[in-house]
Amino acid sequence: MSDIFFPLAVFFAAVFTNNILLTNYLGMCSFLSVSKELETSAGLGIAVTFVMAVTTALNWLVYEFVLVPFQLEYLRFIVFIIVIAAFVQLIEMIIERYSEGLYFALGIFLPLITVNCAILGASLFMVIREYTFMTSFFFGLGSGLGWFLAILAMAGIRQRLRTAKIPAGLEGPGISLVIAGFMAMAFMGFNGMITIS
Amino acid sequence: MNIQKQQAMRNVLVALSPLCLAAIYLFGWRFVAVLAVVGASGLLSEWLMARRYQVKVTESVFVSCVLFALSLPPGIPLWMAALGIAFGIVFGKMVFGGFGKNVFNPAITARAFVYISFGVPMTARFINPQIALNWFPAGFGTWLTGADSVSAATPMATGAVPHLNLLLGFTSGSFGETSALLIILGGAYIIYKKAANWKIVAGSLLSFLVLQTILWAAGHPNAHDPLYALLSGSFLLGAFFMITDPISSSQSTDMGRWIYGILFGLLTVAIRVFSNWAEGVTFAILLANMFGPLFDHYLKQAKAKKKAAAKAKTGGAA
Repeated sequence: MSDIFFPLAVFFAAVFTNNILLTNYLGMCSFLSVSKELETSAGLGIAVTFVMAVTTALNWLVYEFVLVPFQLEYLRFIVFIIVIAAFVQLIEMIIERYSEGLYFALGIFLPLITVNCAILGASLFMVIREYTFMTSFFFGLGSGLGWFLAILAMAGIRQRLRTAKIPAGLEGPGISLVIAGFMAMAFMGFNGMITIS
Repeated sequence: MNIQKQQAMRNVLVALSPLCLAAIYLFGWRFVAVLAVVGASGLLSEWLMARRYQVKVTESVFVSCVLFALSLPPGIPLWMAALGIAFGIVFGKMVFGGFGKNVFNPAITARAFVYISFGVPMTARFINPQIALNWFPAGFGTWLTGADSVSAATPMATGAVPHLNLLLGFTSGSFGETSALLIILGGAYIIYKKAANWKIVAGSLLSFLVLQTILWAAGHPNAHDPLYALLSGSFLLGAFFMITDPISSSQSTDMGRWIYGILFGLLTVAIRVFSNWAEGVTFAILLANMFGPLFDHYLKQAKAKKKAAAKAKTGGAA
Protein backbone atom coordinates (compact mmCIF):
# COMPACT_ATOMS: atom_id res chain seq x y z
CA MET A 1 0.00 0.00 0.00
CA SER A 2 1.34 3.42 -0.89
CA ASP A 3 2.59 5.64 1.92
CA ILE A 4 0.08 8.42 1.40
CA PHE A 5 -2.90 6.17 1.89
CA PHE A 6 -1.46 4.15 4.72
CA PRO A 7 -2.70 6.47 7.52
CA LEU A 8 -6.17 6.30 5.98
CA ALA A 9 -6.07 2.52 5.83
CA VAL A 10 -4.97 2.44 9.45
CA PHE A 11 -7.83 4.76 10.30
CA PHE A 12 -10.47 2.48 8.78
CA ALA A 13 -8.81 -0.58 10.23
CA ALA A 14 -8.89 0.99 13.67
CA VAL A 15 -12.61 1.69 13.36
CA PHE A 16 -13.70 -1.66 11.89
CA THR A 17 -11.29 -4.56 11.50
CA ASN A 18 -9.11 -3.83 14.53
CA ASN A 19 -11.69 -2.11 16.71
CA ILE A 20 -9.90 -1.45 19.97
CA LEU A 21 -12.91 -2.43 22.05
CA LEU A 22 -14.39 -5.33 20.11
CA THR A 23 -11.20 -7.03 18.93
CA ASN A 24 -8.67 -6.01 21.60
CA TYR A 25 -11.17 -5.71 24.46
CA LEU A 26 -9.60 -2.52 25.78
CA GLY A 27 -11.65 0.12 27.56
CA MET A 28 -14.11 -2.48 28.77
CA CYS A 29 -14.73 -0.97 32.21
CA SER A 30 -16.27 2.32 31.14
CA PHE A 31 -17.89 0.56 28.20
CA LEU A 32 -19.83 -1.63 30.60
CA SER A 33 -20.51 0.91 33.33
CA VAL A 34 -21.41 4.05 31.37
CA SER A 35 -23.49 2.50 28.58
CA LYS A 36 -26.86 2.65 30.33
CA GLU A 37 -27.98 5.91 28.73
CA LEU A 38 -27.53 6.94 25.13
CA GLU A 39 -26.87 10.60 25.87
CA THR A 40 -24.12 10.01 28.39
CA SER A 41 -22.54 7.32 26.23
CA ALA A 42 -22.44 9.72 23.31
CA GLY A 43 -20.79 12.35 25.53
CA LEU A 44 -18.18 9.93 26.76
CA GLY A 45 -17.63 8.59 23.25
CA ILE A 46 -16.91 12.05 21.86
CA ALA A 47 -14.57 12.83 24.74
CA VAL A 48 -12.68 9.55 24.29
CA THR A 49 -12.35 10.09 20.54
CA PHE A 50 -10.93 13.56 21.02
CA VAL A 51 -8.53 12.64 23.80
CA MET A 52 -7.36 9.48 22.08
CA ALA A 53 -6.58 11.24 18.82
CA VAL A 54 -4.62 14.03 20.48
CA THR A 55 -2.80 12.01 23.12
CA THR A 56 -1.67 9.38 20.65
CA ALA A 57 -0.07 12.12 18.57
CA LEU A 58 1.36 13.81 21.68
CA ASN A 59 2.76 10.56 22.98
CA TRP A 60 4.37 9.94 19.62
CA LEU A 61 6.20 13.25 19.89
CA VAL A 62 7.24 12.55 23.46
CA TYR A 63 8.40 9.07 22.58
CA GLU A 64 10.39 10.03 19.50
CA PHE A 65 11.94 13.24 20.80
CA VAL A 66 12.38 12.58 24.51
CA LEU A 67 12.35 8.89 25.35
CA VAL A 68 14.24 7.52 22.37
CA PRO A 69 17.12 10.07 22.39
CA PHE A 70 17.71 9.51 26.10
CA GLN A 71 17.18 5.75 25.81
CA LEU A 72 14.36 5.85 28.30
CA GLU A 73 11.92 3.68 26.31
CA TYR A 74 11.34 1.49 29.35
CA LEU A 75 9.66 4.46 31.04
CA ARG A 76 7.00 4.73 28.36
CA PHE A 77 4.18 3.33 30.49
CA ILE A 78 4.59 5.96 33.19
CA VAL A 79 5.35 8.79 30.80
CA PHE A 80 2.37 8.03 28.57
CA ILE A 81 0.04 7.97 31.55
CA ILE A 82 1.41 11.29 32.77
CA VAL A 83 0.97 12.86 29.34
CA ILE A 84 -2.61 11.59 29.11
CA ALA A 85 -3.48 12.75 32.62
CA ALA A 86 -1.88 16.15 32.11
CA PHE A 87 -3.62 16.64 28.80
CA VAL A 88 -6.99 15.70 30.18
CA GLN A 89 -6.49 18.05 33.11
CA LEU A 90 -5.53 20.87 30.78
CA ILE A 91 -8.55 20.27 28.57
CA GLU A 92 -10.80 20.22 31.58
CA MET A 93 -9.49 23.59 32.72
CA ILE A 94 -9.82 25.11 29.26
CA ILE A 95 -13.37 23.83 28.84
CA GLU A 96 -14.34 25.06 32.27
CA ARG A 97 -12.97 28.51 31.45
CA TYR A 98 -14.51 28.91 28.01
CA SER A 99 -17.58 26.71 27.80
CA GLU A 100 -19.41 26.03 30.99
CA GLY A 101 -22.23 24.21 29.21
CA LEU A 102 -19.89 21.65 27.70
CA TYR A 103 -18.08 21.34 30.99
CA PHE A 104 -21.21 20.32 32.82
CA ALA A 105 -22.34 18.13 29.94
CA LEU A 106 -19.11 16.15 30.05
CA GLY A 107 -19.05 16.23 33.84
CA ILE A 108 -17.26 13.29 35.34
CA PHE A 109 -16.30 11.81 31.98
CA LEU A 110 -13.24 13.91 31.32
CA PRO A 111 -11.41 12.80 34.48
CA LEU A 112 -12.70 9.26 33.91
CA ILE A 113 -10.96 9.13 30.57
CA THR A 114 -7.56 9.30 32.24
CA VAL A 115 -8.06 5.79 33.51
CA ASN A 116 -9.53 4.39 30.29
CA CYS A 117 -7.10 1.70 29.28
CA ALA A 118 -8.01 2.02 25.61
CA ILE A 119 -6.28 5.41 25.55
CA LEU A 120 -3.03 4.05 26.92
CA GLY A 121 -3.48 0.99 24.73
CA ALA A 122 -3.64 3.10 21.57
CA SER A 123 -0.37 4.83 22.52
CA LEU A 124 1.35 1.52 23.23
CA PHE A 125 0.13 -0.07 19.99
CA MET A 126 1.51 2.89 18.09
CA VAL A 127 4.94 2.23 19.58
CA ILE A 128 4.85 -1.52 18.97
CA ARG A 129 3.69 -1.11 15.39
CA GLU A 130 6.21 1.67 14.70
CA TYR A 131 3.75 4.10 13.18
CA THR A 132 4.79 7.49 11.83
CA PHE A 133 3.36 10.68 13.32
CA MET A 134 0.53 11.01 10.81
CA THR A 135 -0.35 7.34 11.05
CA SER A 136 -0.36 7.54 14.85
CA PHE A 137 -2.77 10.44 14.80
CA PHE A 138 -5.15 8.66 12.43
CA PHE A 139 -4.79 5.46 14.43
CA GLY A 140 -5.77 7.32 17.61
CA LEU A 141 -8.67 9.02 15.87
CA GLY A 142 -9.89 5.77 14.33
CA SER A 143 -9.58 3.84 17.58
CA GLY A 144 -11.53 6.55 19.37
CA LEU A 145 -14.26 6.53 16.74
CA GLY A 146 -14.41 2.75 16.85
CA TRP A 147 -14.83 2.90 20.61
CA PHE A 148 -17.49 5.59 20.20
CA LEU A 149 -19.39 3.46 17.69
CA ALA A 150 -19.28 0.43 19.95
CA ILE A 151 -20.48 2.20 23.09
CA LEU A 152 -23.22 3.94 21.12
CA ALA A 153 -24.53 0.63 19.79
CA MET A 154 -24.30 -0.89 23.26
CA ALA A 155 -26.21 2.01 24.81
CA GLY A 156 -28.89 1.74 22.13
CA ILE A 157 -29.33 -1.95 22.85
CA ARG A 158 -29.38 -1.48 26.63
CA GLN A 159 -31.87 1.33 26.33
CA ARG A 160 -34.13 -1.00 24.35
CA LEU A 161 -33.73 -3.72 26.94
CA ARG A 162 -34.92 -1.51 29.76
CA THR A 163 -38.36 -3.12 29.78
CA ALA A 164 -37.03 -6.61 29.17
CA LYS A 165 -37.38 -9.27 31.81
CA ILE A 166 -33.79 -10.38 32.05
CA PRO A 167 -33.02 -13.43 34.21
CA ALA A 168 -32.03 -12.27 37.69
CA GLY A 169 -28.47 -13.56 37.60
CA LEU A 170 -27.70 -11.79 34.34
CA GLU A 171 -28.96 -8.32 35.07
CA GLY A 172 -26.54 -5.44 34.60
CA PRO A 173 -22.97 -6.46 33.77
CA GLY A 174 -23.97 -10.03 32.90
CA ILE A 175 -26.25 -9.21 30.02
CA SER A 176 -23.89 -6.43 28.92
CA LEU A 177 -21.09 -8.94 28.56
CA VAL A 178 -23.37 -11.24 26.56
CA ILE A 179 -24.22 -8.33 24.26
CA ALA A 180 -20.57 -7.35 23.99
CA GLY A 181 -19.81 -10.92 22.97
CA PHE A 182 -22.37 -10.77 20.17
CA MET A 183 -21.04 -7.41 19.06
CA ALA A 184 -17.52 -8.80 18.89
CA MET A 185 -18.90 -11.75 16.92
CA ALA A 186 -20.54 -9.36 14.47
CA PHE A 187 -17.35 -7.38 14.09
CA MET A 188 -15.50 -10.57 13.18
CA GLY A 189 -17.20 -10.13 9.83
CA PHE A 190 -14.74 -7.35 9.04
CA ASN A 191 -11.83 -9.79 9.41
CA GLY A 192 -9.26 -9.34 6.72
CA MET A 193 -10.88 -6.35 5.03
CA ILE A 194 -7.84 -4.21 5.70
CA THR A 195 -4.59 -5.69 6.87
CA ILE A 196 -2.27 -3.52 8.90
CA SER A 197 0.87 -4.87 10.43
CA MET B 1 -46.44 -27.84 27.16
CA ASN B 2 -48.31 -24.69 26.37
CA ILE B 3 -47.18 -22.97 23.22
CA GLN B 4 -48.32 -19.45 22.47
CA LYS B 5 -49.92 -19.15 19.06
CA GLN B 6 -48.50 -16.56 16.66
CA GLN B 7 -50.20 -16.13 13.29
CA ALA B 8 -47.31 -14.19 11.71
CA MET B 9 -44.92 -17.00 12.61
CA ARG B 10 -47.26 -19.56 11.05
CA ASN B 11 -47.25 -17.56 7.82
CA VAL B 12 -43.47 -17.62 7.80
CA LEU B 13 -43.49 -21.37 8.35
CA VAL B 14 -45.85 -21.81 5.39
CA ALA B 15 -43.51 -19.71 3.26
CA LEU B 16 -40.53 -21.80 4.36
CA SER B 17 -42.13 -25.18 3.69
CA PRO B 18 -41.39 -25.22 -0.09
CA LEU B 19 -37.76 -24.57 0.78
CA CYS B 20 -37.76 -27.55 3.12
CA LEU B 21 -39.25 -29.76 0.43
CA ALA B 22 -36.68 -28.48 -2.05
CA ALA B 23 -33.92 -29.26 0.44
CA ILE B 24 -35.13 -32.87 0.66
CA TYR B 25 -35.42 -33.07 -3.12
CA LEU B 26 -31.99 -31.61 -3.77
CA PHE B 27 -29.92 -32.95 -0.92
CA GLY B 28 -31.73 -36.05 0.32
CA TRP B 29 -33.44 -37.28 3.46
CA ARG B 30 -30.66 -36.15 5.72
CA PHE B 31 -32.34 -32.75 5.86
CA VAL B 32 -35.25 -34.30 7.76
CA ALA B 33 -32.84 -35.64 10.35
CA VAL B 34 -31.14 -32.25 10.69
CA LEU B 35 -34.47 -30.49 10.98
CA ALA B 36 -35.70 -32.95 13.60
CA VAL B 37 -32.54 -32.62 15.70
CA VAL B 38 -32.55 -28.85 15.44
CA GLY B 39 -36.25 -28.63 16.25
CA ALA B 40 -35.96 -30.91 19.27
CA SER B 41 -32.89 -29.16 20.64
CA GLY B 42 -34.35 -25.69 20.05
CA LEU B 43 -37.69 -26.51 21.60
CA LEU B 44 -36.07 -28.18 24.59
CA SER B 45 -33.80 -25.19 25.29
CA GLU B 46 -36.67 -22.74 24.96
CA TRP B 47 -38.90 -24.86 27.17
CA LEU B 48 -36.28 -25.27 29.90
CA MET B 49 -35.53 -21.54 30.00
CA ALA B 50 -39.19 -20.58 29.78
CA ARG B 51 -40.10 -22.87 32.65
CA ARG B 52 -37.35 -21.53 34.86
CA TYR B 53 -38.10 -17.84 34.17
CA GLN B 54 -41.86 -17.95 33.79
CA VAL B 55 -42.21 -16.85 30.21
CA LYS B 56 -44.20 -18.53 27.48
CA VAL B 57 -42.85 -20.83 24.82
CA THR B 58 -43.81 -19.14 21.56
CA GLU B 59 -44.19 -20.44 18.03
CA SER B 60 -41.34 -18.21 16.95
CA VAL B 61 -38.97 -20.92 18.14
CA PHE B 62 -40.07 -23.12 15.20
CA VAL B 63 -39.27 -20.35 12.74
CA SER B 64 -35.82 -19.94 14.28
CA CYS B 65 -35.24 -23.70 14.08
CA VAL B 66 -36.35 -24.03 10.47
CA LEU B 67 -34.35 -20.99 9.35
CA PHE B 68 -31.27 -22.28 11.16
CA ALA B 69 -31.62 -25.76 9.66
CA LEU B 70 -32.02 -24.27 6.19
CA SER B 71 -28.87 -22.22 6.62
CA LEU B 72 -26.65 -25.21 7.39
CA PRO B 73 -24.46 -27.02 4.87
CA PRO B 74 -25.77 -30.52 4.01
CA GLY B 75 -22.84 -32.35 5.55
CA ILE B 76 -23.15 -30.73 8.97
CA PRO B 77 -22.67 -33.18 11.88
CA LEU B 78 -25.93 -33.47 13.79
CA TRP B 79 -24.47 -32.63 17.19
CA MET B 80 -23.17 -29.33 15.84
CA ALA B 81 -26.61 -28.44 14.60
CA ALA B 82 -28.11 -29.27 17.99
CA LEU B 83 -25.47 -27.29 19.87
CA GLY B 84 -25.82 -24.31 17.55
CA ILE B 85 -29.55 -23.88 17.93
CA ALA B 86 -29.35 -24.39 21.71
CA PHE B 87 -26.85 -21.53 21.85
CA GLY B 88 -28.98 -19.39 19.57
CA ILE B 89 -32.16 -19.89 21.57
CA VAL B 90 -30.61 -19.56 25.03
CA PHE B 91 -28.10 -16.76 24.44
CA GLY B 92 -29.71 -15.15 21.42
CA LYS B 93 -33.21 -14.97 22.83
CA MET B 94 -33.99 -16.30 26.27
CA VAL B 95 -31.36 -14.39 28.25
CA PHE B 96 -32.90 -11.17 26.93
CA GLY B 97 -36.23 -12.15 28.39
CA GLY B 98 -37.63 -14.34 25.64
CA PHE B 99 -39.66 -13.55 22.53
CA GLY B 100 -40.09 -9.87 21.76
CA LYS B 101 -36.98 -8.73 23.57
CA ASN B 102 -34.15 -10.35 21.67
CA VAL B 103 -31.71 -7.90 20.13
CA PHE B 104 -30.15 -10.35 17.71
CA ASN B 105 -31.97 -12.80 15.48
CA PRO B 106 -31.70 -16.19 17.28
CA ALA B 107 -31.32 -18.21 14.07
CA ILE B 108 -28.48 -16.04 12.87
CA THR B 109 -26.69 -15.95 16.23
CA ALA B 110 -26.85 -19.74 16.15
CA ARG B 111 -25.40 -19.78 12.67
CA ALA B 112 -22.67 -17.26 13.49
CA PHE B 113 -21.75 -19.35 16.53
CA VAL B 114 -21.25 -22.57 14.58
CA TYR B 115 -19.67 -20.68 11.67
CA ILE B 116 -16.98 -19.22 13.90
CA SER B 117 -16.51 -22.24 16.13
CA PHE B 118 -16.44 -25.01 13.53
CA GLY B 119 -14.93 -23.46 10.43
CA VAL B 120 -14.20 -26.55 8.38
CA PRO B 121 -17.55 -28.41 8.57
CA MET B 122 -19.32 -25.12 7.90
CA THR B 123 -17.35 -23.99 4.89
CA ALA B 124 -15.41 -26.83 3.33
CA ARG B 125 -17.92 -29.65 3.06
CA PHE B 126 -20.54 -28.52 0.61
CA ILE B 127 -22.14 -31.00 -1.70
CA ASN B 128 -23.07 -30.49 -5.28
CA PRO B 129 -26.33 -32.21 -6.18
CA GLN B 130 -25.45 -32.05 -9.85
CA ILE B 131 -22.34 -34.17 -9.60
CA ALA B 132 -24.14 -37.26 -8.39
CA LEU B 133 -27.52 -37.40 -9.99
CA ASN B 134 -28.12 -34.39 -12.19
CA TRP B 135 -31.46 -32.60 -12.48
CA PHE B 136 -33.85 -35.46 -12.07
CA PRO B 137 -34.32 -36.97 -9.59
CA ALA B 138 -31.56 -34.80 -8.04
CA GLY B 139 -31.06 -36.04 -4.51
CA PHE B 140 -34.57 -37.29 -4.00
CA GLY B 141 -34.81 -40.62 -2.25
CA THR B 142 -31.19 -40.70 -1.17
CA TRP B 143 -29.91 -40.11 2.35
CA LEU B 144 -27.39 -37.46 1.36
CA THR B 145 -26.83 -36.60 -2.27
CA GLY B 146 -23.44 -37.72 -3.50
CA ALA B 147 -22.01 -37.98 -0.04
CA ASP B 148 -18.67 -38.96 -1.52
CA SER B 149 -18.44 -35.87 -3.69
CA VAL B 150 -17.70 -33.39 -0.96
CA SER B 151 -16.17 -30.19 -2.21
CA ALA B 152 -15.17 -26.86 -0.78
CA ALA B 153 -16.35 -24.83 -3.70
CA THR B 154 -19.73 -23.16 -3.50
CA PRO B 155 -20.82 -20.99 -6.40
CA MET B 156 -19.69 -18.04 -4.27
CA ALA B 157 -16.11 -19.20 -4.62
CA THR B 158 -16.00 -20.56 -8.15
CA GLY B 159 -18.23 -18.09 -9.94
CA ALA B 160 -18.90 -20.64 -12.65
CA VAL B 161 -22.43 -21.97 -12.27
CA PRO B 162 -25.07 -21.16 -14.90
CA HIS B 163 -27.55 -18.52 -13.76
CA LEU B 164 -30.48 -20.86 -14.39
CA ASN B 165 -29.07 -23.40 -11.95
CA LEU B 166 -28.70 -20.72 -9.32
CA LEU B 167 -32.28 -19.63 -9.84
CA LEU B 168 -33.69 -23.13 -9.59
CA GLY B 169 -31.34 -24.41 -6.92
CA PHE B 170 -29.27 -27.05 -8.70
CA THR B 171 -26.01 -26.03 -7.19
CA SER B 172 -24.02 -26.55 -4.04
CA GLY B 173 -24.68 -24.57 -0.91
CA SER B 174 -26.59 -24.72 2.33
CA PHE B 175 -29.85 -26.70 2.50
CA GLY B 176 -32.20 -23.83 1.89
CA GLU B 177 -30.20 -21.15 0.16
CA THR B 178 -29.75 -22.66 -3.27
CA SER B 179 -33.15 -22.14 -4.86
CA ALA B 180 -33.53 -18.40 -5.42
CA LEU B 181 -36.91 -18.89 -7.09
CA LEU B 182 -38.53 -20.59 -4.10
CA ILE B 183 -37.04 -18.03 -1.71
CA ILE B 184 -38.50 -15.18 -3.74
CA LEU B 185 -41.91 -16.89 -3.91
CA GLY B 186 -41.93 -17.57 -0.18
CA GLY B 187 -40.71 -14.05 0.49
CA ALA B 188 -43.46 -12.58 -1.65
CA TYR B 189 -45.98 -14.60 0.34
CA ILE B 190 -44.85 -13.30 3.74
CA ILE B 191 -44.72 -9.75 2.42
CA TYR B 192 -48.27 -10.19 1.11
CA LYS B 193 -49.32 -11.56 4.49
CA LYS B 194 -47.55 -8.63 6.18
CA ALA B 195 -45.29 -10.90 8.21
CA ALA B 196 -42.36 -9.12 6.57
CA ASN B 197 -42.06 -5.49 5.64
CA TRP B 198 -41.39 -4.78 1.95
CA LYS B 199 -39.37 -1.65 2.69
CA ILE B 200 -36.62 -3.59 4.42
CA VAL B 201 -36.46 -6.10 1.57
CA ALA B 202 -36.49 -3.39 -1.12
CA GLY B 203 -33.81 -1.37 0.66
CA SER B 204 -31.51 -4.33 0.99
CA LEU B 205 -31.98 -5.58 -2.59
CA LEU B 206 -31.45 -2.13 -4.10
CA SER B 207 -28.36 -1.27 -2.09
CA PHE B 208 -26.93 -4.72 -2.71
CA LEU B 209 -27.35 -4.42 -6.47
CA VAL B 210 -26.00 -0.87 -6.61
CA LEU B 211 -22.81 -1.57 -4.67
CA GLN B 212 -22.26 -4.92 -6.38
CA THR B 213 -22.66 -3.30 -9.81
CA ILE B 214 -20.17 -0.58 -8.93
CA LEU B 215 -17.56 -3.04 -7.68
CA TRP B 216 -18.14 -5.38 -10.61
CA ALA B 217 -17.87 -2.56 -13.13
CA ALA B 218 -14.70 -1.39 -11.41
CA GLY B 219 -13.31 -4.85 -12.07
CA HIS B 220 -12.68 -6.03 -8.53
CA PRO B 221 -11.49 -9.66 -8.76
CA ASN B 222 -13.81 -10.84 -5.96
CA ALA B 223 -16.93 -9.22 -7.38
CA HIS B 224 -19.13 -11.45 -9.52
CA ASP B 225 -21.70 -9.92 -11.83
CA PRO B 226 -24.64 -8.48 -9.85
CA LEU B 227 -27.23 -11.04 -10.90
CA TYR B 228 -24.91 -13.93 -10.12
CA ALA B 229 -24.07 -12.44 -6.73
CA LEU B 230 -27.73 -11.91 -5.96
CA LEU B 231 -28.73 -15.47 -6.80
CA SER B 232 -25.79 -17.26 -5.21
CA GLY B 233 -25.13 -17.62 -1.52
CA SER B 234 -27.66 -16.86 1.16
CA PHE B 235 -28.33 -13.18 0.48
CA LEU B 236 -31.91 -13.67 -0.68
CA LEU B 237 -32.73 -15.94 2.24
CA GLY B 238 -31.35 -13.30 4.58
CA ALA B 239 -33.08 -10.41 2.87
CA PHE B 240 -36.54 -12.01 2.83
CA PHE B 241 -36.58 -14.14 5.96
CA MET B 242 -33.91 -13.05 8.39
CA ILE B 243 -33.60 -9.29 8.52
CA THR B 244 -37.35 -8.86 8.22
CA ASP B 245 -37.82 -10.54 11.60
CA PRO B 246 -40.21 -8.19 13.43
CA ILE B 247 -38.26 -8.18 16.70
CA SER B 248 -34.58 -7.76 16.08
CA SER B 249 -34.86 -5.32 13.19
CA SER B 250 -35.43 -1.60 13.26
CA GLN B 251 -39.19 -1.53 12.88
CA SER B 252 -40.52 1.55 14.61
CA THR B 253 -40.23 3.99 11.69
CA ASP B 254 -40.34 3.64 7.90
CA MET B 255 -37.10 5.56 7.62
CA GLY B 256 -35.51 3.11 10.03
CA ARG B 257 -36.68 0.21 7.86
CA TRP B 258 -35.09 1.68 4.75
CA ILE B 259 -31.81 2.47 6.49
CA TYR B 260 -31.78 -0.95 8.09
CA GLY B 261 -32.28 -2.74 4.78
CA ILE B 262 -29.74 -0.58 2.98
CA LEU B 263 -27.16 -1.16 5.69
CA PHE B 264 -27.66 -4.92 5.41
CA GLY B 265 -27.24 -4.88 1.63
CA LEU B 266 -24.12 -2.75 1.68
CA LEU B 267 -22.48 -4.72 4.48
CA THR B 268 -23.15 -8.03 2.73
CA VAL B 269 -21.41 -6.89 -0.43
CA ALA B 270 -18.54 -5.30 1.47
CA ILE B 271 -17.89 -8.40 3.57
CA ARG B 272 -18.20 -10.75 0.60
CA VAL B 273 -15.84 -8.78 -1.57
CA PHE B 274 -13.26 -7.42 0.85
CA SER B 275 -13.04 -9.68 3.89
CA ASN B 276 -11.63 -13.15 4.50
CA TRP B 277 -15.07 -14.71 4.56
CA ALA B 278 -16.71 -15.99 1.41
CA GLU B 279 -20.21 -15.22 2.64
CA GLY B 280 -21.10 -12.01 4.44
CA VAL B 281 -24.79 -12.45 5.16
CA THR B 282 -24.42 -13.85 8.67
CA PHE B 283 -22.22 -11.02 9.87
CA ALA B 284 -24.12 -8.35 7.98
CA ILE B 285 -27.32 -9.39 9.77
CA LEU B 286 -25.62 -9.34 13.17
CA LEU B 287 -24.17 -5.90 12.45
CA ALA B 288 -27.51 -4.56 11.29
CA ASN B 289 -29.17 -6.04 14.39
CA MET B 290 -26.54 -4.38 16.52
CA PHE B 291 -27.22 -0.89 15.20
CA GLY B 292 -30.98 -1.30 14.82
CA PRO B 293 -31.91 0.03 18.29
CA LEU B 294 -29.84 3.16 17.60
CA PHE B 295 -31.79 3.98 14.44
CA ASP B 296 -34.99 3.35 16.33
CA HIS B 297 -34.04 5.71 19.10
CA TYR B 298 -32.74 8.60 17.01
CA LEU B 299 -35.44 8.40 14.34
CA LYS B 300 -38.20 8.28 16.93
CA GLN B 301 -36.63 11.25 18.65
CA ALA B 302 -36.42 13.18 15.38
CA LYS B 303 -40.03 12.33 14.59
CA ALA B 304 -41.21 13.50 17.99
CA LYS B 305 -39.29 16.74 17.57
CA LYS B 306 -40.79 17.33 14.14
CA LYS B 307 -44.25 16.69 15.49
CA ALA B 308 -43.70 19.06 18.38
CA ALA B 309 -42.37 21.72 16.01
CA ALA B 310 -45.36 21.33 13.69
CA LYS B 311 -47.72 21.54 16.63
CA ALA B 312 -46.03 24.67 17.91
CA LYS B 313 -46.29 26.20 14.45
CA THR B 314 -49.98 25.54 13.98
CA GLY B 315 -50.61 26.54 17.57
CA GLY B 316 -48.83 29.84 16.96
CA ALA B 317 -50.80 30.49 13.75
CA ALA B 318 -54.10 29.87 15.47
